[in-house]
Amino acid sequence: MKTVLILKGGPMLSIYFGDDPGEGYIFNPDVFFNNMYEDGWITSAVSRQMIQDIDGSEVVGAHLIESPFLGPIPPERLSGGVKTLILIAHDQDHIFNASACGDNCSGWLLRLAEDRDIVIRLGYIMDLGKEPFSIKVLNTGKVVHTMLELDEEIIGAHLLGG
Amino acid sequence: MLGRYEIRIYNKRVHYHFTIKRNITVIQGDSATGKTELVRMIADYENNKESSGITLLCSRPCVVIENAFWKEKISSLSQCICFIDEGAAFLKSKGFAEAIKHSDNYFVLVTRDSLEQLPYSIEEIYGMRQERESQKYKGAKRVYNELYPLYNVKADQRLLPDVVLTEDSNAGYMFFKDVFGEICETAGGKSNILSRLLKTQEQELLAIVDGAAFGPEMAGVMRYIRDTDKRIVLYAPESFEYLLLKADIIGHTSPVTEETYSYADSRRYFSWEEFYTDYLVR
Repeated sequence: MKTVLILKGGPMLSIYFGDDPGEGYIFNPDVFFNNMYEDGWITSAVSRQMIQDIDGSEVVGAHLIESPFLGPIPPERLSGGVKTLILIAHDQDHIFNASACGDNCSGWLLRLAEDRDIVIRLGYIMDLGKEPFSIKVLNTGKVVHTMLELDEEIIGAHLLGG
Repeated sequence: MLGRYEIRIYNKRVHYHFTIKRNITVIQGDSATGKTELVRMIADYENNKESSGITLLCSRPCVVIENAFWKEKISSLSQCICFIDEGAAFLKSKGFAEAIKHSDNYFVLVTRDSLEQLPYSIEEIYGMRQERESQKYKGAKRVYNELYPLYNVKADQRLLPDVVLTEDSNAGYMFFKDVFGEICETAGGKSNILSRLLKTQEQELLAIVDGAAFGPEMAGVMRYIRDTDKRIVLYAPESFEYLLLKADIIGHTSPVTEETYSYADSRRYFSWEEFYTDYLVR
């Protein structure tokens, strides 16, 4: 499935590695989410699935989430990772700092990018899994398809220092 | 600041228990493991003390540093354990490195980005998880969280290296060159290790680094080791000087390596690597 998408040149996840991806960049998606989220973002099907998968929590309504660890919480108490995923899924006007997302969010980043082009910033090498993918490294313009290719591009171009 | 500090913080739903023993500790790992919740609870306790409903047990004050007036707050504190969450834009700045160098406080930093300006240890990079033995609290309604070392490089691996790469270019390099001969090369600094591992055509490599300050490079190196077909083993003692002290060949020095937190004052040493070198020279 993913290979077909690569050959067709479908939507793609583009990642800027480093500190300043340019205009519209949101460094702290956690705080941005608290002040900007819309009710419909929380109750959308994709958000419900992401909240269930990452936080293990169930969306009861736009203002109430049932967390197995924290009890009933408002959307502001969701994890920074899932807040960032919700922003990426619903706000196409900004570039979000996906360093707020752990490795366990990478599957969702790839899945969101199957539907439309997505641009994010990362300050670490996220584990994007063993399956082949299609990701553009914005700093160099190169499209990579495996973790090793991604490592080599980041290390070779000194995108994260070193 | 000297010493190791046990921290217990809990409310009715979550409980954290961990120990801090160096000037810089980094917490990373998956989303939704409770990192931000920990910092939020510490801030709530700092602002409201017992009225918060939170219990915090530690022999030193725990405080949270946020973006506003971070520099002023750090300079006003002494003998505190300072927690900083990943939303702090100043974490990667040179100004922050200058502010915590020679500080009389310990710092716990929640961030996945590598902090190149800071010489933190690979031993002090932690993930967070629910305590595995939480059955001992069977029937309790709280979730118990603990820190666990994210990188375990202590595994005993056999290797006949084609190349031995040392971070060190001085005494450590000379020593390992004597041991391994011509296959031993120096990378000329920790920030060159990763690009040297990438460039080399050899298939079996041993990389020897100073673990006490290699933290910023660790995620990238371990990622590459996992993904490449090359067989790379990382040997990361605290430092070459640590090995000499640990070996007890220059007097009875091993106690210093076992309880370094009782000797390496953060006001004087930015990393334990600096302490071991200074102690050995003295």
